[in-house]
Amino acid sequence: MSLSYIFKRLLGMVPLLLGVSLILFGVLHLAPGGPLDVYADNPSVTQEALDQMKRAFGLDQPLPVQYFRWVTAFFQGEWGYSIRTSQPVMEEVLARIPATLMLSGSAFFLALLVALPLGILSATRRYTGVDYFITLMSFLGISMPVFWLALMLQLLFAVQWRVLPSAGMQTIGDGSLPDLLRHLVLPVFILAFASVAGWSRYMRSSMVEILSQDYIRTARAKGVSARRVTYSHAFRNALIPVVTVVALDSAAILSGAVITETIFAWPGLGRLFIDSMNGRDYPVLMALLMVGSFALVLSNLIADLAYSLIDPRIRYD
Amino acid sequence: MGNQKQETNSARQKRMVLGFSAAVLLSGMGMAQQRGGSLTVGLSYDIDTLNVYSTGFLGDVQATVAEGLVAPNEKAEYVPVLATRVPTIQNGGIKVAADNKSMVVTYQLRPGVKWSDGKPFTSADVKFTWETVKDPKFIAESKDGTEDITSITTPNDLTVVVNYKRVAPDFKSTLFTFGILPKHTLEGKDLNTDTYNQMPLGTGPFKVTQYVKGQFVVLDRNPFYWRKDKAGVQLPYLDKMIFKIIPDSNTLVTQLKSGEIQMATSVPYAQIPQLSAQAGLKVIKNPVLSWQHLDFNLKGPAALRDINVRKAVAYGLDKATISKALGGYPIPIDTVVVPVFSYSSKTVPKYPYDPAKAKQLLEAAGYKAGSDGIRAKNGQRLSFNIMAQAGRSTDEDAQQVMIAQMKTIGIELKPDNKAGVALRDARYKGGYELYYGGWITSADPSYGVFYSTKGVNNGQGYSNPKIDALLATADSTLDPTVRNKALRDFQTLLMQDLPSIAVTSNPSMIVTTDKLGGFVSNPTNMTNFVNTSGWYLKK
Repeated sequence: MSLSYIFKRLLGMVPLLLGVSLILFGVLHLAPGGPLDVYADNPSVTQEALDQMKRAFGLDQPLPVQYFRWVTAFFQGEWGYSIRTSQPVMEEVLARIPATLMLSGSAFFLALLVALPLGILSATRRYTGVDYFITLMSFLGISMPVFWLALMLQLLFAVQWRVLPSAGMQTIGDGSLPDLLRHLVLPVFILAFASVAGWSRYMRSSMVEILSQDYIRTARAKGVSARRVTYSHAFRNALIPVVTVVALDSAAILSGAVITETIFAWPGLGRLFIDSMNGRDYPVLMALLMVGSFALVLSNLIADLAYSLIDPRIRYD
Repeated sequence: MGNQKQETNSARQKRMVLGFSAAVLLSGMGMAQQRGGSLTVGLSYDIDTLNVYSTGFLGDVQATVAEGLVAPNEKAEYVPVLATRVPTIQNGGIKVAADNKSMVVTYQLRPGVKWSDGKPFTSADVKFTWETVKDPKFIAESKDGTEDITSITTPNDLTVVVNYKRVAPDFKSTLFTFGILPKHTLEGKDLNTDTYNQMPLGTGPFKVTQYVKGQFVVLDRNPFYWRKDKAGVQLPYLDKMIFKIIPDSNTLVTQLKSGEIQMATSVPYAQIPQLSAQAGLKVIKNPVLSWQHLDFNLKGPAALRDINVRKAVAYGLDKATISKALGGYPIPIDTVVVPVFSYSSKTVPKYPYDPAKAKQLLEAAGYKAGSDGIRAKNGQRLSFNIMAQAGRSTDEDAQQVMIAQMKTIGIELKPDNKAGVALRDARYKGGYELYYGGWITSADPSYGVFYSTKGVNNGQGYSNPKIDALLATADSTLDPTVRNKALRDFQTLLMQDLPSIAVTSNPSMIVTTDKLGGFVSNPTNMTNFVNTSGWYLKK
């Protein structure tokens, strides 16, 4: 692995993202309706006014021209104005990024911290009570609808016991860190719970497979301690498939958790996306989708780099 | 709080009168007890902009900040706000030209009113508002009425003379109701991008002190507010109002239960029973100016142009069952003009639930039941798509009931629900076969936009020259008897033609803390927050 490799990969992203942007632009414009349809019900918005708005937003141009204009501006950092709120798109998106990063980022690291040990525990204690219990909890976590669990936890913690706020990001008039952390508890738990459930299953099956390999038996025969066998010999090799899954999921840190953000009134990118989608706010939608695509491409690169860190036999030149 | 509300004797108003006398008593003992406190309201949508003219929503927050010259009250009647009286022909405020082609409306403004920054409010602000909203460069959702005005003159600081190029009975809605814009901060600015959109300045009881996007708006008392209560205490009573954005309706209910919010409007019917059982909360039913309707696309399948099919659908609909499925809150109606209005006609042709008659009508018109129970004529099955707003649970539930009811008379309906812009697009251009949805109007609605041949909301292709003429009359007269007669005749004719079945009028459910006093609901598009100055929290 070398710096020039990373540079090459980053360079390769540009045509990829360009292609992605073309498809996204096409799909968005294929969806019925347009941003000016919100005025359709309104008799006092005259045809001239509509035409003028079309011109102002550049919607009167043929689609290829619109795309070309958008793409050249976008890659120069000029993201345009939101049609719904008249605010600069960059501002709208940047305003929502910290909230989403905080929520999805904390949930991501929490899930990672819990899922890996759980998976290992489950694999090393295969077919014991511990394994069955963890398996049961994982299936619960995978199959339980997020909105239902969220509702139950809100009722329990906010209505019954009144120990945690049910939603929002801060108590109004109190922006302190402890206050923020209290608001984070429930949504982070909900988001992390589903990830833990999935990831720990991957970790478990990958570990189980490695633990049955010949070289593990050899190590054990040589008298290596069970601990060393698990953590030095098996764990590292078992990580590769887990990294693939986790890295792909990590892209979600930047694309926002639509359901969780809506239930917990969390002002993140996921909610901005839904509102913009309902209003066909093309400039904001394109920006959000591009940020999400970029995160996905980037997480792929990170996964590839992580492979070579974990397994020195994997090399890129 | 307006004085005009105290003559009537409903329970709610009695409570209000009590509240007022308590205020008088308490202010006699020094500071009125109900002054102070902070009310947190849950908003079920994410605010796009706080500019009342460009928002795509009704403007709950905006109503606490911006004030118009007049505003509709709880009975949808206009009362003066920044004007000292509502102009009428009788009081000389309206003068119609001899040829009946134009009119002049004169407003006398309330003296001593100040913007929340302390600057005086004058007639120049009113003229500026018209010029700004009318400007084609300003992109706005609500420009109603701006094109009808030829000019505005301001003989002095407190007089506004508005010249209309037609006789416009709806002159009060939008422009002079929504809110006056401050000339001294907005002159020469681009209102599309100005900070006014986040921090509006108004003459209303509250002013925005903090707006955090996607989260909340904090409003503090406007220290210069002009209204005083009977004891001379300066309003508003509340120190603060906070609007919290909570898009999920379950979370909204949870927050009401946990006390994190003390008020929510438009709470889903399904949630009402559990909230009314909750101590500390009270439920208020608000008869809004909206009606649910089932529209036939007359440009669609040929069978829908057959009046017998439309009548059969009407006889086959059990409105009482639909209401019951929604908790019993919706009120079944027979005409598109909601019962709140005095000109809602009781003598329209009615179609009471009668499935036998529905079947008989279809049978007589040649639609015979096939092996699957669905009727057909000349190979054309009575099978249609029915569109409703996806995600709007009350409409989707009602739609399911209708589908079941139509099946029993041999008509198959298949749900084809759409959301957001896709729904608007279909509704506007007639991209549906049947459409079930709701319309909400202002306090002086124009029905021409829905049912006249060229009506913008007439996506169903309905056209009847007699209806066009009646609606044109209603929309161009200031004489209430002429207008009411035209509107009553219109309803009779419309219900004969039956392009649309009036199903129910769905009240909106408001839940507040039982400590909130002085609250009066408002059925119009000016929202329940149109006059918050008299609200107070009991200690």
